[in-house]
Amino acid sequence: MTTVTLAGAEADPRRWLKAFASQEALLAIAVIGLAIAVGLYNPRFLAARNLSDVLLGNAYIAVAAVGMTMVIISGNIDISVGALIGVLATISGTLAVNGAPIVVAWLAALVAGILVMALQGIIIAYLRIPAIVVTLGMLSILKGGLISVTGGKWITDLPDSFHLADIELFGVLPFPVVLMILVTILAALWMRYSASGRAVYAVGGNAEAARLCGISQPRTIVMVFALHGMFAGAAALLYATQLRVIQSTVPPNLELTIITASVVGGVSILGGTGTVVGSTLAAVLIAEIASALVFIDVSPYWIRAVQGVLILVTVIADILRRRRMAGA
Amino acid sequence: MKLGLAAAFLGATLLAGTASAADKRWDGADDLPVNPLACSAGEANAAPTAKPYDGGRPTNAADKAGKPITLVDVPKLIGIGYFNATSKGMQDAAKALGNVTVKTDGPTEAKIDEQIKFIDNYITSGVDGILFAANDPVAIAPVLKKALSKGIHVVGYDANATPDAREWFVNQAEFNGIAKAMIDSMAKEAGEDKSFAIVTSTFTTPNQARWIAEMWAYAQKCHPKLKWLETVEAQEDNNLSFNQATTLINKHGDKLAGLFGMTSVATPASAEAVTKAKLCGKVAVVGLATPNAMKPYVNADCVKSVVLWNPVDLGYAATYVMRAVVDGSLKPGATSVDAGKLGKLNVVNGSEILLGSPFIFTKQNIKDFDF
Repeated sequence: MTTVTLAGAEADPRRWLKAFASQEALLAIAVIGLAIAVGLYNPRFLAARNLSDVLLGNAYIAVAAVGMTMVIISGNIDISVGALIGVLATISGTLAVNGAPIVVAWLAALVAGILVMALQGIIIAYLRIPAIVVTLGMLSILKGGLISVTGGKWITDLPDSFHLADIELFGVLPFPVVLMILVTILAALWMRYSASGRAVYAVGGNAEAARLCGISQPRTIVMVFALHGMFAGAAALLYATQLRVIQSTVPPNLELTIITASVVGGVSILGGTGTVVGSTLAAVLIAEIASALVFIDVSPYWIRAVQGVLILVTVIADILRRRRMAGA
Repeated sequence: MKLGLAAAFLGATLLAGTASAADKRWDGADDLPVNPLACSAGEANAAPTAKPYDGGRPTNAADKAGKPITLVDVPKLIGIGYFNATSKGMQDAAKALGNVTVKTDGPTEAKIDEQIKFIDNYITSGVDGILFAANDPVAIAPVLKKALSKGIHVVGYDANATPDAREWFVNQAEFNGIAKAMIDSMAKEAGEDKSFAIVTSTFTTPNQARWIAEMWAYAQKCHPKLKWLETVEAQEDNNLSFNQATTLINKHGDKLAGLFGMTSVATPASAEAVTKAKLCGKVAVVGLATPNAMKPYVNADCVKSVVLWNPVDLGYAATYVMRAVVDGSLKPGATSVDAGKLGKLNVVNGSEILLGSPFIFTKQNIKDFDF
């Protein structure tokens, strides 16, 4: 983003205004504001149990959106991630029911995720095929492959120790929520302060300038996709271990929900800008809205319409902000 | 951004207002005619409207009344628990009858073109009768008609073909039967005057909408004090079903005494939500589901009744129906057929045999099923 100008404007009071108007701040205000508004309508919404359930049930979306945000910042897109999460959940669950050590079952999801995504990254970066085409192909392969191999049969009888999402650290902190926060903070720090993290922004913002600075564009893209695969693996584990059965099908529209979280989180669909803090806050907001709709007696079908409004508002705001910056 | 939220909420609130005004049918129900069953099991149900026989007839079938016959069973696919169970029922029936040999053979994937090839091969090699569960009601019709034209008897079960392509179809459950079993179980487990909510796939999914319509009609008639809170949609999505059930629990708190799962996805997910909320025994979960997905919850005493049909009985009944057709004791126009240990089964819808009341899986019997 604009770290240079921010650093130079140390004494400028408008800096505070700018920070206040950032996408992350707006999302944080929306998350809190919505909670209060729905809480006034139905105080049960604010019960600790409900707030924790909202986070717990949707942490996997935020974790996957961290990887998606990196991919979009690098100037790419991935529409295969929902199908991949379904496949990774099935791989992990199949290993677990067939007696593989639980740690192996968990690691398999991460490793397979990294391999599939790195392969896509290589095709995109070195063969120069647009990401949307490559990942659309992968989406079909994964979707078709999964149903052919499993025949749609569910995985049941999962061992108790497999259920990563049930772990409560120190007896109170649900693991999925801890992982979501940890992944977001680490990814945010990496993207902001490390050379390889900054390279992601450089490649997506201005590929030619990045090349002149000595950044290898293909290598950066493969790295981003590999990381994205790892986050998809982690998301798949949370997704698979939340319930006692694994459906062995591709979760419907999951990739759209993940991309929505990234976009509403403030990532520019043109690449080059955005943060993972924003995408995690957006994932929380979307989950909160879904729960809120039930609390205020509205069909959850409206979640799609509301998500659509959020996307349009965010993208329009992004473009207006860019114009103002270009005009200033 | 905030404006967008406000607008969405305004729209949402308006919609909520209009939805509660339309209370003729419960949310998620369709508006087709309903036919609730009698309240107690003993009472006779209204006779179904007589519909003339609309099944097909074999040409020049050999008269094998009372003589040994060889049957082939071609289910949607083989090697899965559900059709292993129907196949076991057929073997049980063959043993009980003594003059029937039945063999199950079919594709390893639920593919209609494969299934057609299997049936075609058995027509060529020669059998007295074919039992089938169709992967596609229309696409399977020509090969079944071919079998009829060669004098082979054809009886379907589980998944129907167009009526004129087979003689009889053993129907595992009617909508009003499922509805009665669901509502009766809920009234028994949650309490006659308690409140419950429903997790369904979508308001427009045909089977679920039909069941909810029949449940509403039956509850009005037989359990009018049950309080219907709301129906939420969760598509056929495991995690969404879990989140929706959890939200219902958090929203209604102590008021919620029961949850209905209307799909085989929603029921285990609702049971999981109740388990995670540590409300087993306080919130009853009743629903349609397959036994394997429900075993953890039934064995943990969190779920008492899983409503479905018994596939072993389904295969058993199909074999008895076939024997009766060959023997000439089940003819077009008949109103019932004798099905061994299952007793007399009624003819419905012209050429269908109704298996009977739905089967309820409980802690005592669920271990005997693997599908």
